[in-house]
Parts: sequence; structure tokens; C-alpha cells
Amino acid sequence: MLEGIEVSKKFGGLKALTNLNFSVEKGQIVGLIGPNGSGKTTLFNVITGFYPADSGKVLFKGKEITRCKPYEIAKLGIARTFQIVRPLLGLNVLDNVTTAVLYGRDNIGTMAKGRGRALELLEFVGLDKKKNAQAINLVSAERKKLELARALAIRPEFLLLDETFSGLNEAEVQDAIKLIFRIRDELGITIFLIEHVMKAVMETCDRIIVIQYGIKLAEGTPEEVSRNQNVIEAYLGKRRTC
Amino acid sequence: MRDKTNGRYMKYGLFLIVMFMLFVFPVLKPPLFFLSLLFTAYMYVALAESWNLMGGYTGYISLGHIAFFSTGAYTTAVFMNRFGVSPFATALLGGFFAAVLAALVGYPVLRLKGAYFTISSLLLAVVMQLIFMNWDFVGSSVGLWYKLLPVSIEINRMIFYEVMLFLATAITLIVRWVEKSKFGAGLIAIREDEDVAKTMGINSPWLKMKAFILGAFFAGVIGGVYGYYIAYVHPEVTFNINTSLLILLMSFFGGCRTWVGPLFGAIVLSLVNQLIVTFIGAEISRILYGMLLVVVIIFMPDGVIHYIRGLFVHRKIRHGDSIL
Amino acid sequence: MTLSYIIESIISGILLGGIYAILSVGFGLTWGTMKVLNISHSVFAVLGAFVSYWLFVKLKVDPILSLPLIVIILFSSGAIIYKLVIRPVQRAKDVIMASMVATFGVAIVVENVMSYFWRPDPRILKPAYASSSIFLGEISISQGPLIGFIMAICAISLLYWFLNHTYIGKGVQATWQNPIGAALVGINQERVSLITFGLSIASAGAAGVAMALIYAFYPSVQSIWTLFVFLVTIVGGVGSVIGTGLAGLLIGSIIGICAAFLPFVWVNVLLFALLLVILLFKPEGLFGN
Ligand SMILES: Nc1ncnc2c1ncn2[C@@H]1O[C@H](COP(=O)(O)OP(=O)(O)O)[C@@H](O)[C@H]1O
Ligand SMILES: [Mg+2]
Repeated sequence: MLEGIEVSKKFGGLKALTNLNFSVEKGQIVGLIGPNGSGKTTLFNVITGFYPADSGKVLFKGKEITRCKPYEIAKLGIARTFQIVRPLLGLNVLDNVTTAVLYGRDNIGTMAKGRGRALELLEFVGLDKKKNAQAINLVSAERKKLELARALAIRPEFLLLDETFSGLNEAEVQDAIKLIFRIRDELGITIFLIEHVMKAVMETCDRIIVIQYGIKLAEGTPEEVSRNQNVIEAYLGKRRTC
Repeated sequence: MRDKTNGRYMKYGLFLIVMFMLFVFPVLKPPLFFLSLLFTAYMYVALAESWNLMGGYTGYISLGHIAFFSTGAYTTAVFMNRFGVSPFATALLGGFFAAVLAALVGYPVLRLKGAYFTISSLLLAVVMQLIFMNWDFVGSSVGLWYKLLPVSIEINRMIFYEVMLFLATAITLIVRWVEKSKFGAGLIAIREDEDVAKTMGINSPWLKMKAFILGAFFAGVIGGVYGYYIAYVHPEVTFNINTSLLILLMSFFGGCRTWVGPLFGAIVLSLVNQLIVTFIGAEISRILYGMLLVVVIIFMPDGVIHYIRGLFVHRKIRHGDSIL
Repeated sequence: MTLSYIIESIISGILLGGIYAILSVGFGLTWGTMKVLNISHSVFAVLGAFVSYWLFVKLKVDPILSLPLIVIILFSSGAIIYKLVIRPVQRAKDVIMASMVATFGVAIVVENVMSYFWRPDPRILKPAYASSSIFLGEISISQGPLIGFIMAICAISLLYWFLNHTYIGKGVQATWQNPIGAALVGINQERVSLITFGLSIASAGAAGVAMALIYAFYPSVQSIWTLFVFLVTIVGGVGSVIGTGLAGLLIGSIIGICAAFLPFVWVNVLLFALLLVILLFKPEGLFGN
């Protein structure tokens, strides 16, 4: 469904991504892992059109989206969350989601209809009780739910999640894992996620892509990846010791 | 539920009564001074509301509003002076020219953010002022003088009073409608976080452009009427950058997140400003509004209304919520 | 139009450019380091010019001699503005925008206080030496701009030296490069801010005196000076002392060359249009790092 061919991106002299190939099939949950600064967020920014790729192509459902603007990509059905969540702080929870509903792919014209759909989404992520709270008053876990609801509000076919689990406690991680499965199974959305919480990655992902210094290190099922010697050295090894 | 509908009827009723009273006010033959006082107040209401589309909802603080206003005023002036054409048709034309100008300038300038946008918008006004100062067709540094309406001064003031009242009301209602519409929601999302807005599918360059052009159109129409009211244009008077600042202050003072703020701010400050200018002196008035600007930014970045409400409701006002 | 006229014109442009540079350097410093966009910068330059003027007219103190006093007075004014306005504004969400709007207010207040007490008439600072000229063959250079230029060079060098070679100056730089690190080493950020801002205003004051040696000044001229400050700062790259200096010289040369061929007003149109173009296509400036 989403495919990258030889994607490269440099910041000045720094090679953030080098000739990266990847693909995510419809209906899958694919994980993207790698040490800090390995270029994961950069890849998401390239996919969603925030950074132009220096070379290479990104295809979505077979069509090239490499030069598309962020809002065009959203309209095509790719939603994303930000690593550091970015709720619209001056609005309340409901309006955060409503705006996305209005401008998303359903292209709803009136506020009233938009609010109705937004409320459904807030129920879906379990934030309906907070619908009138100002976004600025939410705690971290709630902000993440809001970020998710807002991403879902454009009615995407494909969802990019950037470290949604980080900073959550054990129970919250369990909830979030369930939510991820429900997004795929009930809404039929394909998911590509960046994650540091290994347990969550291992439990949710059908496939995992590992990158380091912007280069693909390994790819495969969770078991394959966790047995891969390079990965253990580069990433998992270090993690396990701490 | 009943209460709510009743409340709404109350509001509409009150609105209609107030509008009716303002509408018939000139019939009472008040001193002309009051008519011009209110004319100017309405003009600032209209200007502040139209500025707020960009400055308040979208968070792009423009100091170029005066350029659009002056475009309108000069359109009227040139048509009156050169061709003797009647004003109320040229006011719309003034709005049209201002909108075209906004479209031409907006395309590059709206890519800039924050201070860079503000400085560019200021430069737009300055460059235009300099050009008009040296352009003979528009009267260069002498300006253009032309005839008032061929009616008595009382009738004249009355007509302009009603026209400006209509403009202020119409623009305020349109801006209010924008605020509550999908369009407004998009603009507000851009102010809150333009990147996030894009991920919602918001075509932010286009939306900003629409708001910018709409605001400029309103300013042009207002300027067009004003140009005929004042019967002369002069680059240093018409393009006065202090007017841009005053508009900004009015919106911030009232609170630029809602349509009520600029309305309130413009009425209060324009009356205060005019009274001080008339009875004490322009310098004192400017000193006061300069101080007020500082105080508003520091202590009530969401505006007086919000601030006062906060005092009563004991809701914590956070600096984080404000656009600044 | 003779060659010597063109050369004279270019030289006076460059001298002027040097003065614009010192007028701008402090503005770029607070914007680049403290994220404070101080619109009231040039109003303090005008204030400096006024103080120098009064000392000269009433007490017959030469502008060059009174310069240290002006620097001290303006530094103190800067410190007061810092305490009253800048410090509170630094808590805002978007410090650049909030400081910009708030200092617009300061500029209006100071401008109108000056024009209330001292009248809005134009004045010129004219010590005897300012009206005479030096001759290099055919070419004459008026002394007013020359002295202003030398003052500007001295002030920029002093500021540069201060930032790079004194303990406080290094503290200033360290704080702005790495606020948390500097705090850990025990640098008092508020004091550093106060000094940075005070210095910026003091340099504006010195520049105002230099400007007054060339041009007539009056309270509302501050808004025109502000435009030149924008011009030089943005062309030079916000926050770069050297870049500001180079930009000043570049713009001065452009003014000089154009002034030889164009009426002065069109020179300004050209310059501000140039600034618009740079803002649009290279907002980091021509000499920024
Ligand atoms: N806008 C940018 N400008 C310059 N460098 C950047 C930018 N964004 C990311 N980088 C650099 O690219 C590298 C990859 O960053 P990132 O994609 O955020 O890593 P990750 O998400 O894997 O932790 C880092 O070295 C980071 O400093
Ligand atoms: Mg990241």
C-alpha cells in the first residue's frame, strides 16, 4: 500500500536517510525501530510531505506522492501523529477533532455534523468524557488519545504513529495496544508505527523494519528481527542491558 | 432547553433594538461632532473586524492593513478627482483593487511567518506610501482634494453615518459567521499550529489567502467610503502607519480570538482616542495608547474581556493559551 | 555628472552605511540572542541624538565628548525598559511576536513624549567641524559623516571585543547559545539579558548621535530609522555582528551609487523593495551563517 524506493534525505552534511527501501502492505501493522537520531521521524516527514526527499520515490496505492504537499497527502488518506504531541492548545478537545473531521476526507460542510462525527471518534479512543476540556489541561496519556482521534478524524486508510507509546505506564500501554488493533480491525486502517517500547512493538507488529544512521539494518517478523545479530548489537542489545 | 432559546430571542431582540436606536440616532439632530465621533468609531469597528480575520483567527499579524484601506481611499479620490464619478460605486471598486493587491502580495508574503510576515506587511505599506508620495497621477506629496457631496453638511454627515453603520454591522456579522464556520475553524487551526493543520487536510496557503483577500476587500471598501467622507487623500495622512497599529491595539485590547473583542476594543478605544485627540492633544493620546499596548500584551494577551471574565469566573488564565 | 561626483557619492554612502550598521547591530543582537524584537530600538537612537543635542546647545559640550555620558544614560534607559517591559514579555508563548508588539508601544510612547516636550521640529547637530570638508584632490568628504563613521567603527569594534574577550561578554554569548548549560555553570540569565539589552540600547544611542551629525532628526524620524534597521539587520543575517557591519557597508554603497543617478526617494523605494525580496527568498540574510 505504501512503498518507498531508494529514499534519501540530507540535512546539510548529515545523511538522515540513505537509499531506503520499504513497503507496507494493506492491513498490516508494521513497526519502524532504530536508535535515537536514526532517521525514523525524518522518514515520516518525508512520507507526509513535510520534508522534500532529495532523491527516491514514495508511492501510495501505486501512485507517486513524493512531491505532494502535506495537506494533499492527508486528503489521499495518510494520517499521522507527532512524536511530541501537538494538540491545538487554544481549543477544547471536541473542536480539535472537529476541525480535522471538517477538513478531512469526508469534507463535511457544517460544524454540527462535524461535531457528531468527532464525538464518535472521541468515544472510540475513550476521550468522550473530556470533550469539553481545554486541550491544554489534558495529561500526557489523554493528549496522546487526542492526537490519535485527530489523526483518525480525516478518515485515513493509512496511519503513521510516531512513538505513541512512549511515556505511558504499563496499563496505558496495554490500552494503547488494544486500541491499535481496533484501529486496524474495526476501521480497516493500515498502520506504520515508530516505537521504542519493545514490548508494544513485539506484540503489535506483523513486520518490523530496523534502521540505523538512515540505513536499513534489518527487516522481518518480530522473531526474525529479534534474532538478527546486527540488530542485537546496534539496538536491542543496548536496550536490554538497561 | 427552553431557557436557551429564550436567551437567544432575547439576544436577537436586544441586537435589533440597539441597531434600530443607532439607525435613528441622526434623526434626533445631534451635534455634528457626535455623528463624526460615531462614524469614526464604526469605521474602526469595521477595520478591526476585518483585520482580525488574519491577525486574530489566523495569527498572522499584519501592519499592512492601512495599505488596503488607502487603496480604497485613493480609488475613490482618483475617480472623483479625475472623472467625477459617484462614490458609492467606487467604494466597491476600491475593495476590488485592495483585494487584487492582497492577492498579488499575499502569494509571496503569506509564506513568511511570525515577525517576518509582520515586517513584510509593514514594508508593503511603507513602499506604497513612498510610491504614492512621488506619483503625480495620485497627487504625489500634495495629495488630492475634491468636492464633498453637494448636500448640506448635516445631510452629508447623516448619510455617511448610516453607510458606515451599515458597513460595520455587515462586516462584523460576516466575521462572526466566519468564526463559527468551517472556514473559521480552519483559520484557527492554522493559528494554533500550521503543521498540524496541514495534517488535517487543511490547504493552509489557500485558506490564508482567502482570509487575507477578504480582509483586504473589506478594508478597501471602508477606505473607499472614508475617502469620500474626508474629501481629500494625502500619502502621509491616509497611509499613516499609526492607524495600522491602532487597529491592532483595538483587536488585542478587546481580545482577538472572538468577533466580540475587536468590536468592543474598537468602540472603546476609538471613542477614547478621539476625545483625547480633540480635547487634550494627539501626542497625549498616542502616549496613552502606546502604554496600553504594552500593558495589554503583558497582562492580558487574550484581551480585556477575557481578562475580566477570568477575574470573576476564577478560571485560570494561562499565558499559554494566548496567540502571543 | 563627473567621476569625482560619483566617487563622492559612493564614499558618503559608505560612511552612512557604517552608521546604519551601528544603528542596527544592537537590534540584531537582541533579536538573534534574546529573541526580543525591539521595535523601540531606533526611538532610543533619536533619544540619544536629543540628549547630545541639548548638551551641545545648552552646555556647549561637544558631541564627541558627551558620547560616554550618552552611552551611560541610554544603557540605563535600556535597563529600565528591560525591567518594565522585556522581562515580563519574555514569559509569553511567542516571545518574538509579543516583544515586537509591546516594544511598538514603547516606541510610540517615547516618540510622543519627546515630541510633546521638545516639539516635533527637525534639528541638526552641528558642531563647527561637522560642516567643513576634507579634500582629497578633486574629491571632498564632509567631516560630519566621517566622524559619525569613525564613531560607528569604534562602537562596533568595542561591542565585538566586549562579546568575545570579556568575562561578561562571553557569558552573554554562552547564555544565548546554551541557556541551560550556562545556568548550570551559574550564569545569571536575568543579569545577562539586562546587560545585553542595555548594551543594545546604548549602541543605538551612540548611533543616534552619529546620525544626527548627518541628518536632521525629529521624534517621528524613528520609524524611518527603524526601516533601515530592518533592512541592514535582515540583509546581514539576524544576530551576526560581522554580517550587520557588512550589510551596512553594502547598503551604504547601494545608496551612494543610486543617489548619484536617482532622486533620493526612489532610492528608498528601491531599498525597501530589495528588503521585501530578501525577506521572501533569503530570510536568513545574505551574510548570515
Ligand atoms: N529539520 C532538521 N534539520 C536538521 N537536522 C535534522 C532535522 N530533522 C532531523 N534532523 C537530524 O536528522 C537525524 C535524524 O533525526 P530523526 O529523524 O528525528 O531521528 P529519530 O526520529 O529516529 O530519533 C538527527 O541527527 C537529527 O538531528
Ligand atoms: Mg523521532
